[in-house]
Amino acid sequence: MRHLLLRLEPIIWLLFGQGILIGTILLTGWILVVGLGVPIGIVPADALSFERAHALGASLLGRLFLLALLVLPLWKGAHHVRSLSIDFGGVNRDPLVATLMYAIAGFGSLLAIVAVVRL
Amino acid sequence: MARPVHPHAMTPSRPGRTRTAPPQAPSGWYAQPRMLRYLLFDATGIVYLLVGFVALRVVWALGTGPERWQELQRQLANPLYVAFHALALICVVFVAVRFFSLFPKSQPAHIGPAKPPPQPLILAGLYAAWIAVTAVVVLILAGGIF
Repeated sequence: MRHLLLRLEPIIWLLFGQGILIGTILLTGWILVVGLGVPIGIVPADALSFERAHALGASLLGRLFLLALLVLPLWKGAHHVRSLSIDFGGVNRDPLVATLMYAIAGFGSLLAIVAVVRL
Repeated sequence: MARPVHPHAMTPSRPGRTRTAPPQAPSGWYAQPRMLRYLLFDATGIVYLLVGFVALRVVWALGTGPERWQELQRQLANPLYVAFHALALICVVFVAVRFFSLFPKSQPAHIGPAKPPPQPLILAGLYAAWIAVTAVVVLILAGGIF
């Protein structure tokens, strides 16, 4: 398993790095509107009416935006949780933790692809 | 034939003659300000994972239909969800500020004959991109444009 993880490391680091950079850049606006603005009432609820939200999300740019928004933070999260586990628990259990975290991120990524495709 | 490098490849095959104690972190290492910031940066990963799955729920509901979408909008107005997203916003800003400050320092001195721009210019570019993209995303999602 350790050798497989080392083989996959370039891909994992690519997704992790882009999760920090692109994920962070995209998440800021998303959280401001979807997570806070509309629920608090600062942004009118009509802005995210089903028809408008679906039209935005189902466009080509919308799908690309959503795919990056859903997938990249998962890999940033998975890799940093792994890192946190090494910091506090050492490297002995790292293969297990790494496998688990990347499996969660991979599963979430597959679901994200399905979610975006079915829009 | 090339093969993956083992992370402990540089460990001596046999212990040296001089007896050494195994490396140990000093007690309370995690509370030192420098380490605490580093650990907090790592800990934002938990929030990123959760916010990723919450966003996945949102998009899934959008693909399911208007009723599920309305139901999810009601759930997102729950104070717990609002508090979580407020925490997520703090984490995102923390990650951005810390990562942007590290990014210029991590650039190679040169790639072939090309040298990277001065560090302040890279930093300004990152902040400009962050603010610009955020503004565009907010304007689009909030109905300001389109």
